[in-house]
Amino acid sequence: MELELKNISVTLSKKEILKSINLRVEDGEFISLLGASGCGKSTLLKTIAGIIKQREGSILLGGKALDKVPPHKRRTVIVFQDFRLFPHMTVAENISFPLKMLGLHKDKCRERAVELLKKVKLEGFKDRHVDEISGGQKQRVVLARALAAEPVVLLLDEPFSSLDINLRKDMRELVLDLQKEYKITTILVTHDKEEALTMSDRIAFMHNGEILQYDTPENIFKNPVNTIVADYFAEGTYISGEIKGNRFISRFFNVDINRDDGKYKCLIRPSALKVNKAEDGKFQVVAKIYQGDNYLLKINKINSSLKLESILNEPLDIKEGDKVSIELDKDKLIFIPE
Amino acid sequence: MNKKTPYILIMPIVLLGVLFIYGVANGIIQSFGYIPAFNLRDLSLDYYIKVIKSPTFLDSLKVTLHISLISSILAAVLGTILTAALVYTGHTEGKIIQVIKLAILIPHTIVALFSISILSQNGLLARLLYKLGIISTQGDFPLLLYTKNNIGIILGYLWKEVPFVAYFSLSLMASINKTLGEAAENLGASRLKSFIHITLPLSMPAIAKAFLIILTFSFGAYDLPFLLGATVPKALPVQAHVEYIHPDLRHRPYAMAMNGLILLITWLMAGIYYLISNRKKLKGGSHERA
Repeated sequence: MELELKNISVTLSKKEILKSINLRVEDGEFISLLGASGCGKSTLLKTIAGIIKQREGSILLGGKALDKVPPHKRRTVIVFQDFRLFPHMTVAENISFPLKMLGLHKDKCRERAVELLKKVKLEGFKDRHVDEISGGQKQRVVLARALAAEPVVLLLDEPFSSLDINLRKDMRELVLDLQKEYKITTILVTHDKEEALTMSDRIAFMHNGEILQYDTPENIFKNPVNTIVADYFAEGTYISGEIKGNRFISRFFNVDINRDDGKYKCLIRPSALKVNKAEDGKFQVVAKIYQGDNYLLKINKINSSLKLESILNEPLDIKEGDKVSIELDKDKLIFIPE
Repeated sequence: MNKKTPYILIMPIVLLGVLFIYGVANGIIQSFGYIPAFNLRDLSLDYYIKVIKSPTFLDSLKVTLHISLISSILAAVLGTILTAALVYTGHTEGKIIQVIKLAILIPHTIVALFSISILSQNGLLARLLYKLGIISTQGDFPLLLYTKNNIGIILGYLWKEVPFVAYFSLSLMASINKTLGEAAENLGASRLKSFIHITLPLSMPAIAKAFLIILTFSFGAYDLPFLLGATVPKALPVQAHVEYIHPDLRHRPYAMAMNGLILLITWLMAGIYYLISNRKKLKGGSHERA
């Protein structure tokens, strides 16, 4: 079911947390709310679920206003970061809880709980107590419990942040598989850009209670609307300049680019820069940092304040202090209007 | 920090502990008839046997159990309702908590005075009902004090015990409701169902502990039954007090034997609580969070 937020504003303890949020999520779409801690992502999620009341604005689900619908009737189910499994119940009882609330018979509840446990690959865990299972298993139970509530919108509040890296990957795959199978409109709250980029159909980037950009992962990465969004995905060096007649002109370099005339900042991310060893090079390597899959080269322009970074995929014969020349990959340069 | 500092800091509690243990041990020794100052030197169980066999003992025990059980059960129920009301209306801190603390801080003797001035046939309530024309004379107001139904004593205990249960269980219930109660509502439970299925069962350890404290306290306390209770039968602690202040000092072992029995029954209550809570834990049915 499609979800639409219209001018949602939330104030908590006299502080404005969300400022006129507008967002539309299509039926069965998977979107991410991405942003740094404290930007209002979780508040937005809780507002959709009705746990927090909005000061202004309206939430529409399938075209119908949810504003006066109490939280327990919204079917906008949250998978909480801290699991929130009921400690006085077994795994099966936890999963059965929403079914019990829907009025299903005890036997039906148990049957469905077993089915859902199979879906989350936890067969045989039904009678375990929740403090007898690991963090990853708890997250699967939470997911099964959320699915048992038959949500029309699934809200994932940083569900993988407490899991270790290997488990995180498995859980992401499981969530995506289940989301595709059940075709549930899903909103993931995360501060992990990789998670948002790899899982979502669209990403809403939040900052200080506002959505700065709502776009596909590729567009938001390649065409950030401002430096805040750009820096969140990958930092680099900004060069100020101007585009005139489809040419970017700056102190350091000029390049042809098909953009409207005006003042721009050109972001050079490490991936946009290729480095070659050259005796007469105008740049010097000041640091070579091993990063596992690659090396990060920090290079300075000789007799200049310009500092750049580049990624070296192979341990080429370049070491600290070497003089190098650079090549810019024009397609990877990002131009942000000033 | 000086090496001696921890020992100095712990001294007050050690001194209090020594005084308490000395008092209890001395009382128990006296209950066996050993008080050299009164020329009683033979240790025996006679005083216990005589107390248990006395015709008033069983009546006193019944009265005491009646007062403590009824007041504690009512206080636990009403205290839980008060806690839930505070939690669900968001009053878990601030002025309302100070009001609750104030009610707990008022001594039982003052509560007894309040009870007399409010609940007696000359009290505020009787006068108000008379003024409103609900009763034709103040004498028509039901007898709540100094009667065998012990209503005055029970109401007096409720004055302090209801806020005590609320104060004791408030923070736990508030934190459960904030996290797990919220999750339950999000999963389709109404507020009432969320309270019944999640918040209440998980708050039970704190409520049960508060219940045990007020049950054992009201079983052993003498002030309210003494000030508001019927002449006969007297509550056990009142009976023990009467024996204690008996002009014949050789009655002291009877008072101490009664106190010994009160202590024994209190331990029995604590033991039953321990067994029940332990059995729940073994079953995996209870998660102590308090």
